[in-house]
Amino acid sequence: MNAARKGAVPARGAPAGLVRDLVLTGVFGLALFLAPTLLRDWFGQASVSYLSLGLRALAVAVLALTWDMVARTGQLSLAHGAFYGAGAYTAAILLKNTGSPLWLGIPLAAAVGAVLALGLGAVTLRLFGIYFAIATLAFTEVLKAVVQEALPQAVAGGAAGINVPALFRPTFVPGEMERWEIAFLRNQSYFYVYAGILLLAIVVSVLIQRSRLRSAFTAIRTNEWVASVVGVNPARYKLLAFVLSSALVGMLGAVEAHRLGSAVPEGAFAVHVTVLALVTPIFGGLYTTVGPILAAGVLATIEETFKRSLSDGYMIAYGLVLVLAILFMPRGLMGLFRGLTRRMKRGPGPPSEASASPAAGGEETGA
Amino acid sequence: MSTVLEARDLAKNFGGLAAVTSLSFRVEAGEIFAIIGPNGAGKTTTLDLLSGMLSPTAGTVHLAGRDVTRLPPYARCHLGLGRAFQVVQPFPEMTVEENVLVGAQFGERSVSGAEARRRADEALERTGMDRLRDVPAEDLNLLQEKRLEIARALATNPEVLLLDEVMAGLRPAEAREAVTLVKQLNAEGVTVVFIEHVMPVVRDLAHRVLVMDYGRELAMGTYAEVTADERVVRAYLGEADAEAT
Repeated sequence: MNAARKGAVPARGAPAGLVRDLVLTGVFGLALFLAPTLLRDWFGQASVSYLSLGLRALAVAVLALTWDMVARTGQLSLAHGAFYGAGAYTAAILLKNTGSPLWLGIPLAAAVGAVLALGLGAVTLRLFGIYFAIATLAFTEVLKAVVQEALPQAVAGGAAGINVPALFRPTFVPGEMERWEIAFLRNQSYFYVYAGILLLAIVVSVLIQRSRLRSAFTAIRTNEWVASVVGVNPARYKLLAFVLSSALVGMLGAVEAHRLGSAVPEGAFAVHVTVLALVTPIFGGLYTTVGPILAAGVLATIEETFKRSLSDGYMIAYGLVLVLAILFMPRGLMGLFRGLTRRMKRGPGPPSEASASPAAGGEETGA
Repeated sequence: MSTVLEARDLAKNFGGLAAVTSLSFRVEAGEIFAIIGPNGAGKTTTLDLLSGMLSPTAGTVHLAGRDVTRLPPYARCHLGLGRAFQVVQPFPEMTVEENVLVGAQFGERSVSGAEARRRADEALERTGMDRLRDVPAEDLNLLQEKRLEIARALATNPEVLLLDEVMAGLRPAEAREAVTLVKQLNAEGVTVVFIEHVMPVVRDLAHRVLVMDYGRELAMGTYAEVTADERVVRAYLGEADAEAT
């Protein structure tokens, strides 16, 4: 009994788990770094489309993981489109109206995202559940209207939007490279920027999961009043999650505007962005780091496969997959895997509670 | 002795219903203070007002000489007010240990990780929950949930502990254990305010008893004094007899 307890305490110690997760993050980062080159060696010209699939998966992963951070505090945010759009427009307006360096828009977009979230959060995080969700959705529409109608057209471009310069312009060297390699190089450069933002989001997520913030977030999500009675300040931690999440989404919005070449109200503040941000973590497994990222990869691949093989009706098939997923795996991919690993660990014999439960507990605190 | 917790002219209306009316009392440091009364007398509402779950319609709450009427629950917790709920409210997704750790980590303004772990361990041991530390809170039975409720409140390192009917539903032996724990805590300097229906427990523990009825103070004094009070006997008739046995 005593020995078991002594064994359990260090295993739960934050540093060990934190180091493990950061090492895994590093390995994942290395894989992302090598991916474009490997794809190119293996697939040649086809690697261009694999890379754009990768870009999409990375972008969705950032949306999903940052949405999940807010969800961990029990808040259902429908404002992801707002911060994504705010980021896109921060870079766009900055570069159109000032002679600022090309890259300055990205950190500035993070700052704008954080400040907007601070303002919106201070007002709305007192709202519970559906009221918060509606307020954040309304905020998205208001922000879109402000950009489109209220800001002078000369500054923000009105409904037509603003052109945003590309971050990368690889030059074609005749004789030394083929035509498609231009597209590859361009995608590769963006791939690294997207991967960088995702890795940053992962580190933030891991730091949350491996510190006492996780306790606070989970307590608030489960029962805000009880959390408060045991000393957790709910508003503070909800605001923290919201601000961190929005800063990261703002950065993503800015980089996407660079890659797409423009910031347009309908595109930047699209409900589609918000929906993606919310569906993906549910598909992957809420309140985890791995779930949303895994789901982003899986969903982007499914979507792309359907698009190619089914052409027109692909959205119907894709929607069907999501509906079935939510019906049959309510805890997402992570829930599915946990169920499987638990069954395998127990083996064919009768389940032994004593040996199974600490292992399972350790698994759940994991990334 | 000094007053650690004080209610001054507290009132709480829910719509047209006056749940608590002009209620005043002082709890002295080191005291065990019982609040009793028939169902619907406003006892739990009073604890809600003290812990900040509800804000009063009128009146003030003072904690360690400070007016905390406008402070939210977490701020009162940081000032040393702990609470265990009548309707047990564990965080079901967490293990027992994680539940208690929340109290240990956030019960005071700045607690180091090691110190929080030590406090959690101590709270788990004192409530006999250390064997169950890795069990998910949703798998506990009622008795275990009640212990967890107390453990989590203890882990916040309270100077004043509010206990809301923690003995209800316990078997006599378990209740005796709980009484011993409360006495021990009190001997270490923790002031205890508790709501209780089980009269022998009140008799064994309480230095003073506040009897409430219809949201008001009906009587106040030692156990012997209030049980001799004719108004109390009348208010309790039937109910006290049934529950005391």
